Amino acid sequence: MNKIMGPGRPLGVLVGLVLLAALGGALSSPPAARSQAADVLLNVLATGAKKLNIVIPNFTIVGGPDTQGLGRGLSQVTARDLTFSSLFSVVSDVPAIPVGDPAALRATFTNFAAAGAHAGLQGVLTLRGDRAEIEMRLHDLTSPEFRLIGAKKIELPAAQTRRLAHKVADEVVLQFTGEPGVADTKVAYVNSGSGSKELNLMDYDGAGAARVTSNNSINISPVWSPDTRSLAFTSYMRGYPYLYRMFPFENRPVQVLAGFLGINSSPAFSPDGRSVALTLSRDGNPEVYVLNLATGAFRRLTTYSGIDTEPTWSPTGREIAFVSERAGGAQIFMMDAEGANVRRLTQAGFNTQPRWSPKGDTIVFTSRQGNFDLWGIGPDGSNLRRLTAGPGNNEGASWAPNGRHLVFQSNRLAGGYQLFTMLADGTEQQPLTRAPGESTSASWSPRLP
Amino acid sequence: MAHRRGSALLVAPVLVLSLFLAGCPKRPATTAASAPPPTGAPPAPSAAAPATPAPAMTPSPAAPATGAPRPAPPAPSEFRETANLKDVFFDFDKYDIRPPDAKTLDTNAAWLKTNDNLVLIEGHCDERGTNEYNLALGERRAKATMNYLVGQGVQANRITIISYGKERPTCSEHSEACWAKNRRSHFLVKAR
Repeated sequence: MNKIMGPGRPLGVLVGLVLLAALGGALSSPPAARSQAADVLLNVLATGAKKLNIVIPNFTIVGGPDTQGLGRGLSQVTARDLTFSSLFSVVSDVPAIPVGDPAALRATFTNFAAAGAHAGLQGVLTLRGDRAEIEMRLHDLTSPEFRLIGAKKIELPAAQTRRLAHKVADEVVLQFTGEPGVADTKVAYVNSGSGSKELNLMDYDGAGAARVTSNNSINISPVWSPDTRSLAFTSYMRGYPYLYRMFPFENRPVQVLAGFLGINSSPAFSPDGRSVALTLSRDGNPEVYVLNLATGAFRRLTTYSGIDTEPTWSPTGREIAFVSERAGGAQIFMMDAEGANVRRLTQAGFNTQPRWSPKGDTIVFTSRQGNFDLWGIGPDGSNLRRLTAGPGNNEGASWAPNGRHLVFQSNRLAGGYQLFTMLADGTEQQPLTRAPGESTSASWSPRLP
Repeated sequence: MAHRRGSALLVAPVLVLSLFLAGCPKRPATTAASAPPPTGAPPAPSAAAPATPAPAMTPSPAAPATGAPRPAPPAPSEFRETANLKDVFFDFDKYDIRPPDAKTLDTNAAWLKTNDNLVLIEGHCDERGTNEYNLALGERRAKATMNYLVGQGVQANRITIISYGKERPTCSEHSEACWAKNRRSHFLVKAR
C-alpha cells in the first residue's frame, strides 16, 4: 500500500482507500482483475501525485452543426463533475476532436500529455430525433500510443441531454476507481422563497432547481426512497403534521403514510425500501416506529416517556440510530431494527440529526456546543471527529450515495440558511444554493436509474 | 472544425502547462464554479418536471393509508385567537411548566371552566436545532400544557394539541430575548 498512499498525501490516501474498497482487495490479485484505468490511476498516485490530471476537449457533435455550443456546454458539465469528485484535476474548454481523425486526436493528446495530463476523455454526442446518445472514450496519456482504456455508449431521451454529461462523469469515476461517481443524482430540499416552506428538487450540482409542492403550507423533512422514485415528508397541508409520500417524476397522487393525532414526522426509508422508520406521538409522546409499506402495519420500537425521534438506518438495515433524551439532553442512541439492544453512542453536548453513511462506517450528526456543527463517529463509538467548525451553524448533513460527500445547511453567509457541500472529512466546503429564500433540510438522492 | 485545430491546439497546452504544474489546484480555473453554464444545455430532464401534487390523498396498494386519522379534530384553521388565554413559556430544550407559568395556566383553566369552548394548544420552539427534534419538543410542550390544564379540571376531550416545532416563530431575530418568546404554548379556541 505504501506505493499507493504516499506519506503526507491526504488525497492519495483518499483515492487509495476508494480503490481499496472498490477493488475489494484486488491489489494482491493478478493485474487483469482490475480495469486498465485503475492501473493508470494507481501508477499516477505511486508517483506522489495527489490527483489524476485529465483533459476533456469539448464534446464532438454528430448529426448536425453544433450551433448552440452543446458540445462545449456538456463537456463543461462533465468537467465540473470530475473536479467536484476531488479525484481529478481537470482541464477543459479545449477544441473538440473531429470524429474519425486519429491525427487530430494524437495532436491534441500529445500536447496535453506533454503538459502533464495523465488521461484524456473524448465525448461524441449523436442526436437522433428525440434520443441522444453519447460515446465516451477514455485514453491513457501516460502510454506512448495513448491507448484506449475505457469506452461506453450511453443513451437517454434528448430532453435529458444534461444527464448524459453527468453519466459520462460517473462512468469515468467508475473506470478509475471501480465505483460510479455521484453526478447523476438529485438533491431534495426545503426552500422558503415562495413565502412558505415548499419541497424543491435540483440536480446535485444545483442546476434545474424546481419546486415540487405548492400547498402554501409547511413542508419539511424530505427523504428519498432507495429507488429514487418517491419522497417521504412531513406537511401541514391538511392542518396537522402528517407524513406523506409523493412521486415527483410521476403523475401519481400524494399518499398519506401516517395521519395520527400528534406528530407524524422524521421519516427514513429502510435500505430495501420496504419500510419507513418514523416518529409518532399517537401513544402519548414521540416514539420511533417502523411502517411496513406493503401491509401498512406500524411497529413501535422505542419505549421512553420523553422524546425519541430522528431514526436513521444502517446500510444493512439491521440497526437504527436515533435521538433520545432518555439520558438527559438529546443524544444519539443505537438499537437493533426490532428495537432491542439499545445503547448510547454519543456522550457530550446536545446531539441530533444522525445520518448513517451508505458505507456504514460513519454516523454524521449535528452537535450543539455553542453553535451547531457537524461531527462524525463510528457506529461503535470510535473515531469521534469534528467535521465543521463554523462559521455560523452547520447542520443537517445528508450523504451522497458513495459516502464521500455531504450536503448540509449553514447560515454562515448573510441572508440565512443555504445548502453547502463538502467531502466526508469536512474539507472542500463550497456553496450549493443561492436561491431566494432559505434552503434547508437537504436529502441527497441515491443514483438515478 | 479540423481546419482550426492547428492554431488552437498550439496555444492551449501552454495555458494548460501552468495549471497542471501549479500543484494541482483544488479547482482549476477552467472548471471552477464560475465557469459559464452550458450554453446549449437543454432544460432539466423531463423526468424532473415538477408536478404539483394532486390534493387527493388516494391510497395506493403500495402504501395503504393505514394511518388515516381517527375521528378527526377540527382543523387548526377553525380555531380563533382569544385574549382570554395567555401564552406560557419554556426554558431551552425543556417542557416542564415553570412556577410563574403555572399561575398563568391556573388563570387559563379557570376561564376555560366557565367558557365551554374547544381549545387548541400549539407547542412552539425557538429556531435552534433540527426541524424534527423541535417538532417532538413542541409536542411535549403542548402535551405538558394540556396535562396541567387537565389536572386543573379542564376536560381532556375539549383539548387538541398541535406541534409547530420551530416552524412558526412569533419573533424572528436571532437573540435569546427573541428565542425566549418563541419557546411557548399558545392557545386558540373554537365554539362547541
